Amino acid sequence: MLKAARPKTAAGKRALKKREPQLIEGAKPAVFMKGTNTSQLVTSVFRDLYALKRPDAVLLSKRNEVRPFEDPHSLEFFSQKNDAALFVLASHSKKRPHNLVFARMFDYQLLDMVEIGVERGVPMEMFKGTKSAVGHRPLILFSGDCWDASDELRTFKSILLDMYRGTQSMDGVDLAGLEHVIAVTAVSTEKVHLRTYTIQLKKSGTKLPRVELTEMGPSCDWVVRRCRPANADAWKAATKIPKELKVKSVKNIERNAMGDQVGRIHMEKQNFDKMQTRKMKGLKRGPNEDEEDEGAAEDDIPAFAKRARLEQESD
Amino acid sequence: MDVTPQLDALKLKYKSVQVDKLIPVDFDLGNLVAFDTNALDTAALKQSPDNYLQQLARDGTQLLLNQIFALPTESTPDGVFAALPAGTSVLPRAKPIPKDKPMTRWEKFAKIKGINKTKNTRKVYDESVDGYKPRWGYGGANSTEDDWIKEVPDNADPMEDQYAKASEEKTARIAKNKTQQLRNAQEAAHAAKGVNPREARKAEVRKRILESKGATASMGRFDKQLKNEDAVKVKRTKRKFESNTRDAGVEKEGVMNVVKKVLKVEDGKVLNMTTAVKHVHQQGGERVVDMDERKKKKQKGRSKK
Repeated sequence: MLKAARPKTAAGKRALKKREPQLIEGAKPAVFMKGTNTSQLVTSVFRDLYALKRPDAVLLSKRNEVRPFEDPHSLEFFSQKNDAALFVLASHSKKRPHNLVFARMFDYQLLDMVEIGVERGVPMEMFKGTKSAVGHRPLILFSGDCWDASDELRTFKSILLDMYRGTQSMDGVDLAGLEHVIAVTAVSTEKVHLRTYTIQLKKSGTKLPRVELTEMGPSCDWVVRRCRPANADAWKAATKIPKELKVKSVKNIERNAMGDQVGRIHMEKQNFDKMQTRKMKGLKRGPNEDEEDEGAAEDDIPAFAKRARLEQESD
Repeated sequence: MDVTPQLDALKLKYKSVQVDKLIPVDFDLGNLVAFDTNALDTAALKQSPDNYLQQLARDGTQLLLNQIFALPTESTPDGVFAALPAGTSVLPRAKPIPKDKPMTRWEKFAKIKGINKTKNTRKVYDESVDGYKPRWGYGGANSTEDDWIKEVPDNADPMEDQYAKASEEKTARIAKNKTQQLRNAQEAAHAAKGVNPREARKAEVRKRILESKGATASMGRFDKQLKNEDAVKVKRTKRKFESNTRDAGVEKEGVMNVVKKVLKVEDGKVLNMTTAVKHVHQQGGERVVDMDERKKKKQKGRSKK
């Protein structure tokens, strides 16, 4: 494990501060790395996945002996080194040809991962036409009825969504910047198709535009292989919502059918005897009040006033 | 005036933006995602997969964009922005939720007292230079270094050096601040471990007293007593003496234990091989005594040269 670094310079301090946990997190940075052996097919798909993830991605040029399903420690090391939360690992072997591992980390520890085999892949450069610009948020489309049928696909869907959803900015999304869509279709619990298209918005005679798509690439057919879903405790810790971001339920304020805001107020019991009414001369106590009332009134007179009155009487 | 035929004609001119799905599509607009859980048409997929997938993607994208374009928008010089709602998909964080910084003693006190922190400007006006100076720090307005005259207070010793006094006071203030910082850091560390800082400090002092008591020859018997020192109980193991008359076997075992310790003899052996080999080597004896494979190879390599 890496030792916790203590900054020696101001620049180092700033760099470490950048890595500190944030209340609202941006896009997850991803590391794309190769295992000891790769095939041309898996490399081309891998490069295109990297191109789609840019600019929140790092492509490592050196090969590394990483086998996350046997030992996740080296992935955790790379996660710490690169401050990465996502990994895509390309490899190729006789047993698992054209292999891609999608892994996700929480707090530099492996959370979950899925292994995918590339059966067919057409890289981006084989498609003519314009490509989407770097940094634009894609639309994502999950089709098929098997996505929630198995642990593998559920994990894979979650990781893919996490990887390509981009930063959730506060100013919303630029409508002119929506220029590509990543469509992932699960045919069965084993087979998944990935297609990427650019979007053309055409006139439709209504306010909403008519959508036409042109294939942009990459286009691949995948088979789902091994999977390591997140364990329940780690998942619970990772999906905890900070108390600052929790939406507080507002009590006693509702909106009625007309859209008016209606509030309910709970009052304590009112004592009308002590109620302050408007002062009027006619309501003042006169000098000739009843004896009983006098006694009661006597109690209300402050001590210093009583003393003053006694002195007056003695004089 | 009825404009329905004109509208219909316009509609025919363009392709529709309506898409019919058996099961309504789920949207997570915060993440720009649509989940279409309708069953796929396997026959069409087998016949021409690329066309079918593109048609499927077009319909899904149309539905998703219909939703996005219906959101409230804001026009800015940079373009038209749609205000997205918060994402609804449950996705894990990359790092844990940041922890609150532990409060310092002053912050705790200020909170109880209701003292609010007021933001001071970084620079203050200085009359002497008719300009602004930093409130503190290098060339700061609070610096006493360049005071060319200092008033001697009425009740002060006239011979006292007021400059030296001021600088001493400053050093003392800095030292005090440093100890307070240290104490805050220590208390924060204890609190992070879940220990009561006050109890931890008590235990530390007790430990120190015990150590100091054992440090003198008299084991602290003639040392000056500290306040409440009696509360710290010193427990020492009592010395035990063996009787003068006892079994010879026990005595032998005791002596052998000492011998073993001194000679570091392994169990059941009289000779310690490693020590013996070392001795032979040091005296320039036989070269090859007990070498492992690697050493042998190394020697071979050398001899070839």
